[in-house]
Amino acid sequence: MSSRILPDFELLLPQSVPEAVELLAAHRDRITVMAGGTDVMVAMKFAQSPAQLPDYLMSLEHVPGLAYVLFDPDKGLRIGAKATIAELLAQAEVKQHYRALWNAARTFATVQVRNTATVLGNLLRASPAGDCSCAIYAIGGTVALQGPAGRREVDIDDFWLSYGVTARRPDELAVELILPPPAAGSRCAFKRMTRTNEDLAKLNVAVRLEMAGNTCVDARLAMGCVAPTPLRLTKTETLLKGRELTAEVLQSVAASVPWEIDPIDDKRSTAEYRRQVSGVLLKRAIQEACGAA
Amino acid sequence: MNRETIVGTSAPRVDVRDKATGQALYAADIDLPGMLYGKVVRCWEHAHARVVRLDLSAAAKSPGVVRVLGPQDVTANRYNSSVLDLMVSEQMHDMLGDIEDQRIFTDHVKFQGDAICGIIAKSEEAAERAAAKVIVEYEPLPVYLTADASKQPDAIRFTPEKPGNLAFQLPEPMFPGHALGGGDVEAAMRDADLVVEDVFYVPKQKQCQMEPHAYIAKLDSTGRLNCWTSSQMPKLVQAKLAKLFGLPMSLVKVTPTVIGGGFGTRLGLISEPQACAMAMSVPGHAVKLLTLREEDWVISPSRHPGKYWMKIGFRKDGTPLACDARFENYKGGYYLDASGTAFTAGAWLGGMYKFPALRYKGESYFTNQGLTGAYRGYGNPQTNFVLEQLIDRACAQMGADPVEWRKQWHKGVGDDGWCPGVTYPSCALDECLDRGAAAIGWSEKRRQYAHQSGTVRRGVGVAVMNHTSGAMPMLLEHTACTVKLNEDATAEILFACSDMGQGSHTALKQIAAETLGFPFDHVQLSSGTSDVAGFDIGAHASRTIYVGGAAVKKACEDVRRQLLERAGRHLQVSPDELDIRDKRIFVKADPARAIEAETITRAGVYHFIDPATGQAGGEPGQIQGYVSFFAPHNSPPFGASFAEVEVDTETGEVRVLELVNAHDIGRAINPAAVEGQLEGGIQQGLGFVLSEEMYYDGNGRILNNSFTDYKMFGPSDMPKITTILVEDPDPVGPFGAKSVGESGLVSPVGAVANAIFNAIGIQFTEAPITPEKVLKGILEQGVRDYGSIGGAH
Amino acid sequence: MKNRDITLHINGEECRLNVAVNRTLLEVLRDQLGMTETKYGCGTGECGACTVLLEDGKAINSCLTLAATMDGKRITTAAGLSDFGRVNHIQQAFIDEAAIQCGYCTPGMVLKTASLLATNRDPSDEEIRHALEGNICRCTGYEKIVKAVRKAARTMPAPAACGAETCTEVAQ
Repeated sequence: MSSRILPDFELLLPQSVPEAVELLAAHRDRITVMAGGTDVMVAMKFAQSPAQLPDYLMSLEHVPGLAYVLFDPDKGLRIGAKATIAELLAQAEVKQHYRALWNAARTFATVQVRNTATVLGNLLRASPAGDCSCAIYAIGGTVALQGPAGRREVDIDDFWLSYGVTARRPDELAVELILPPPAAGSRCAFKRMTRTNEDLAKLNVAVRLEMAGNTCVDARLAMGCVAPTPLRLTKTETLLKGRELTAEVLQSVAASVPWEIDPIDDKRSTAEYRRQVSGVLLKRAIQEACGAA
Repeated sequence: MNRETIVGTSAPRVDVRDKATGQALYAADIDLPGMLYGKVVRCWEHAHARVVRLDLSAAAKSPGVVRVLGPQDVTANRYNSSVLDLMVSEQMHDMLGDIEDQRIFTDHVKFQGDAICGIIAKSEEAAERAAAKVIVEYEPLPVYLTADASKQPDAIRFTPEKPGNLAFQLPEPMFPGHALGGGDVEAAMRDADLVVEDVFYVPKQKQCQMEPHAYIAKLDSTGRLNCWTSSQMPKLVQAKLAKLFGLPMSLVKVTPTVIGGGFGTRLGLISEPQACAMAMSVPGHAVKLLTLREEDWVISPSRHPGKYWMKIGFRKDGTPLACDARFENYKGGYYLDASGTAFTAGAWLGGMYKFPALRYKGESYFTNQGLTGAYRGYGNPQTNFVLEQLIDRACAQMGADPVEWRKQWHKGVGDDGWCPGVTYPSCALDECLDRGAAAIGWSEKRRQYAHQSGTVRRGVGVAVMNHTSGAMPMLLEHTACTVKLNEDATAEILFACSDMGQGSHTALKQIAAETLGFPFDHVQLSSGTSDVAGFDIGAHASRTIYVGGAAVKKACEDVRRQLLERAGRHLQVSPDELDIRDKRIFVKADPARAIEAETITRAGVYHFIDPATGQAGGEPGQIQGYVSFFAPHNSPPFGASFAEVEVDTETGEVRVLELVNAHDIGRAINPAAVEGQLEGGIQQGLGFVLSEEMYYDGNGRILNNSFTDYKMFGPSDMPKITTILVEDPDPVGPFGAKSVGESGLVSPVGAVANAIFNAIGIQFTEAPITPEKVLKGILEQGVRDYGSIGGAH
Repeated sequence: MKNRDITLHINGEECRLNVAVNRTLLEVLRDQLGMTETKYGCGTGECGACTVLLEDGKAINSCLTLAATMDGKRITTAAGLSDFGRVNHIQQAFIDEAAIQCGYCTPGMVLKTASLLATNRDPSDEEIRHALEGNICRCTGYEKIVKAVRKAARTMPAPAACGAETCTEVAQ
């Protein structure tokens, strides 16, 4: 059960990234970072034991210069730590070049949450159900982390370690996400299944295909809610690479997915159902990416 | 042509300006000077356990704490949080076996969330912090989540009064063989050419009213216990609290607050006993008790889930011969409402079709699930899900059109309604079926969908229902109403029944204004407080307009008669020759001969004696009308719903494209409000059949007590809605009105299930029909063209 | 810090407050300022009963917002849409279309409508329904609420005629 009143904590309001990193280094495991706060606030209200509660809450509210969504045709898309889902949606280039992410963002939660929640926050939550996380996984990219020793970039493929755990070290601040520039012939799509339209996904999938005519040169397939973290379907990807996307190929791709995932029963669906529809959803995403849907 | 000018219009609601600007005060919004805050400490770890140790000492020392209360610090009296026991005679009450098995704080936890102790502190935060310091040790007991589990001979008894944990079954003296109905079911089944039979599961649905339960209580300096509550039945709460605390009713005052949605959840008591017990320990101080959403979820009763078996026999020409049914519902840990749904589910079954033989058994078993009680529809959606699917199964096998079959065999005028001896005075179900079918394009679409190909299939389905207008003859139907005329000939009406947001007070004001012949704005209506309002059983059983409206009308007729008598003496005509329009009383045959109502009322109040003449003008006495009204009958509404769905056969996902709700409501006093009831009902009916269910882990702990995990249809899930108000005035109801409060959600349930059957040729026996179940059904049975089933065409 | 001095501009009025840092904006509005038009419905950002608007007409859940981080912000509540009991065109549309039943969701609904119309003066039904996700109503089935939003769009004062007073309706 939750509490109506938030637990006690000290609020930290750093004025800059270096100051934030300094505070992280000083308090390490006793600090929780809050950008939009939509996850952090709920987690604090529902904390089951004092051990789950932070002593310090660091809000990025006063850290300037992190709320950007910047597109450069050569360098790609840079999303700052404080950029909200709504701010991402407001960028025409996102809709044009990163369709999977835009679609994930569009159905993400509700207006109020989109106005507050951040794109990076969705990655850092490290939930297997994150819609934006799924889309970003398929698109590929790197997360920039600022620590006491400087900045490092972690490939999204190496970012999620286990449920709720990322490669971010306790003294590091995730400052931005960089998505690769759009390539000619690159197509992407996102699809999800929910109980009602406004819901967390029971299954989501995103694809990025590099196409030469009707032949798939390269593919990145990501699926959510089928493992402790968002999952790359690497085996299924190999069935696509170098192949023409015929009905037979799509059928073999769909048939391969259930063997690659490890879903569970939970509040939103069953392991059995997720296996049953995983191939269908992936097939539909590929068809949509190729403009066939 | 109706001659009324106010009844039948969508008059703007009386409460909406305050609600639009946020000024309406719900219980949580009320702040009293020096107010303290209560917190109920609940058992979240177990659904069945004994408290072996309760240590409040650390909590008592926590900063800001004023009092801590354990089971020993409050009355040991038990109560039944439902009010059904107040609505039946003592004799009936004994026969039903109603018991009082709840305590304010318990040492035997029977469901997750049972109350253990209470904290009173100077702030909400202090109360919460102290609550965390309460030490409770439990001895876990075996958890029973179904009737099959709790009825085992070695199961622990929930209460010594109920052997076998059978909380209720239809009592033998009234229902021979513990069954409702009549005729020889066995023999009729033997004669049947076609028998359809199945076991269904109906889900545990939550009301999800938007305002979480909140209370304020205060023992004032006169020794009177005050309670501010959004209960649907303030007068019965007053009676219940008086009994629980051993106080005369004159020392219990209940002040109803604006209600943020009811749907049955506020029928009776919820946390009023805890709030009042806290207040009694700190005389002179108001105590506010608020609940979290996830707490509200477990402490308030929800819809009865359970196993529902039914068997129906037909002759091959479609004639129904017999219906045999048994609904075994799963109570929560306490008795409340155990008799209600178990009975009504069968009553509505009996009220629907002309079965020459019927045998319905209803049983309620204790389980360690959360509490079950009243929820809009009260047993009817459960029956609809089962009955209407079996009828369609039979229709498919017999090659009968489901609309035509229903038109031929539904009960109607003169037939027994939900209780033998109380016949239907009106029924416009045929018109509902005809207009609904036309609106959805029934014949055309049924033809079209009989044979389909592709992965996406469509279907249309129909279901019908009967409900009730009040609870006569089973329960007390008593309402008092007082109308007083002010000196300026405006009316002030006192009527204790709450408006839960459905617009009942607006419609009642329309009835009053119409009856009096006064403008709408010259009539005021209020529920008052329990110390000034007369008796009323409250807003339940869709009774407020049918019974309450009749009471308001009678009280207003009393006032009208007095006005006309005085006017008659003044104009020297018989009162029968007079009429009132816009507060002007005139001779019908000669409208120029008239007197203003205000002339009469002013003289009645300001009755001065002229010192010069020693004479007074007019007649003395303020005019007041009063009625203590008992409903003489029950005129149930009927309804037909039509649904069109699309089923994705690769994923099992069902999309509802359109829902037509055609209802025989007698007469719409306020058409916009009536539409609002039917539209809102659709949202809850769709939830019942497709998406809503509370569920528990193996230890009886709820898994989805939040809007994150329990999914209702949102704005973008709702289908195209068509509401058809079929107005065929009832001979009994006020201005011909029947009820509409609950019924809108009932038949969408069966209609959607039947539309899925039409789309893929598969029926689903467990609600809600989730994509998981649909896909499983498709993989096991295969998609079938409806047109290929039995004799369907 | 455990407490913080902040200034909020609520419905055009400046409020200087000392707030405990663990207080949500919802708690501060209701308990410290007595602005009970903002409702607690779930506390977890699902139901939208606690919706308030920020300066650009952006709707947020006040139950998921720490008041201490809102220093200097302009906030509009449902009371801020009306002018001492004179309802604005959105509230009037909800009244006219019988879109209000129990009323508990209504303050959030009218604010959500204001936020939608601030960026989209002529929303389609689909856009309206998509925008209303996040504001739960259990009474109406949303049918009349969608109609009310449509009517509010039709009756919205033209931007040219938008004087200081009417502009406060969407963007305090």
